Amino acid sequence: MSLTRRYRRLLLAYPRAYRREHGEELLGVLLDAAPAGQTRPTLGEAVDLVRGGLRCRLGRPASSTVGVWAVLTALICGLFTAALASRVAWETSRPQPDRAEFAAVFTEAFPGHRLGEDVSTARALFVIYGQPLSRASLRDLLLGDGGEYQEGGAGGSAVGPMPTSEAETLATAQQRLRAAGWQVYEPTSEVLQTCADPRCDPASQPVETVLVARRGDTVLRATFDDPRSFGSYLGVELKRAAPPAVLPVAVLAGLIGGVLAWLVFAWTSRRTEDRRRAPLLLGITLFLWWAPVLLATASLAPHHLDEPHPSWHPLWEWLGQPTLSLFFLVGLAAALILVATALTPRRDLHPLTVSLG
Amino acid sequence: MYRSLIYVAGVTQMREPTFLILTALAGGPRHGYGIIQEVAVLSATRVSLLPGTLYTALDRLTAQGLVEPDREEVVDGRLRRYYRLTPGGLDALRAETARLRQLATAAETRLRALRPRTA
Repeated sequence: MSLTRRYRRLLLAYPRAYRREHGEELLGVLLDAAPAGQTRPTLGEAVDLVRGGLRCRLGRPASSTVGVWAVLTALICGLFTAALASRVAWETSRPQPDRAEFAAVFTEAFPGHRLGEDVSTARALFVIYGQPLSRASLRDLLLGDGGEYQEGGAGGSAVGPMPTSEAETLATAQQRLRAAGWQVYEPTSEVLQTCADPRCDPASQPVETVLVARRGDTVLRATFDDPRSFGSYLGVELKRAAPPAVLPVAVLAGLIGGVLAWLVFAWTSRRTEDRRRAPLLLGITLFLWWAPVLLATASLAPHHLDEPHPSWHPLWEWLGQPTLSLFFLVGLAAALILVATALTPRRDLHPLTVSLG
Repeated sequence: MYRSLIYVAGVTQMREPTFLILTALAGGPRHGYGIIQEVAVLSATRVSLLPGTLYTALDRLTAQGLVEPDREEVVDGRLRRYYRLTPGGLDALRAETARLRQLATAAETRLRALRPRTA
């Protein structure tokens, strides 16, 4: 392949209209600058042309910030796409544990403790107010109660008096779980602030201890509490961990979503250079999409670090979704108006004038 | 329009490649490769512009009204488009040159004052 053809290939990084206008000129400069005998573009030239082409695709040549907005847009769209794809990939998981599986694990970990009759199970991998997502629950999901959309699971509590001390129960559970092939994490304890009065003795505050373990695709979370406050000294939850397909699917979808978003941003940016409301619409979208991410991450990160998490919270929770889905929807509406603006015919900046006579 | 561009150029520092491109065009219209060569000469080969970077800068300067296309010609089958400074570009270059001269003068004054003590 000739040097000219190789340069032409690299020039594909530029938008078609720009290539039509400047392609031959740019090619001429590249060939003039190439030393005699050069048969292929240097790495530096290739990087320079791709970078120049990508910048050119964003339009607004005088803007020094359009690149930042493009990256922010591509990043958030990539994250949303990854979150959506990860939710789809969650469907490769086994169903949430049923009552029989829960009772077997409870007996295995806590022998001698009596499991209450009231064992809750989930009818779907993710539930809202204990119910699978349905058309009827869309209103809750999208308009205010999206935070109730959470992973389902099986849960139950021990009843009756504690047969052994908490420390002994904890040690036995760790030992038995390890023997049964569970990966047991170091228990964590937290003093619960039930008394706001500074005169309260901190030593008298109840302490909550959490034991987390994982075996295969199942995560166990046992919580030891003061039975006077919580009705039971031991609550146990069993959930599925994120299936292996979630991570690769999310990464791939995130990359595709990010690249597509970048291209749409670039096209819209070029088509709306003369539209004054375009920056405002973009600002609304980015604010409403990024603000929940910052709020959710600031809230989830300390919780994530406070106790072991053998399986991370789903990606959409880190993006503040669907808790703040209203933000997302309004941002989406602004983005669609922006794209619609780009689709409408532009005012001709250089009208053709014909002089007669 | 030019006044606002001069003002922008005055308060926001012009980057060295931009200054060199405008300086290269101050000598008369030049085509892309001509600008690359002239910038290399002006900077004593310290600044070597690649075509992608040059055209990103030319697009920006054109959008800012500092540079405009002059004419086209075909040499050895290659299209050459010449660019020239606009009056606004000339004013921006003068303003930046004055700013750099003022800085250089201030630095020279300080260095002259320093010389007897270090001697």
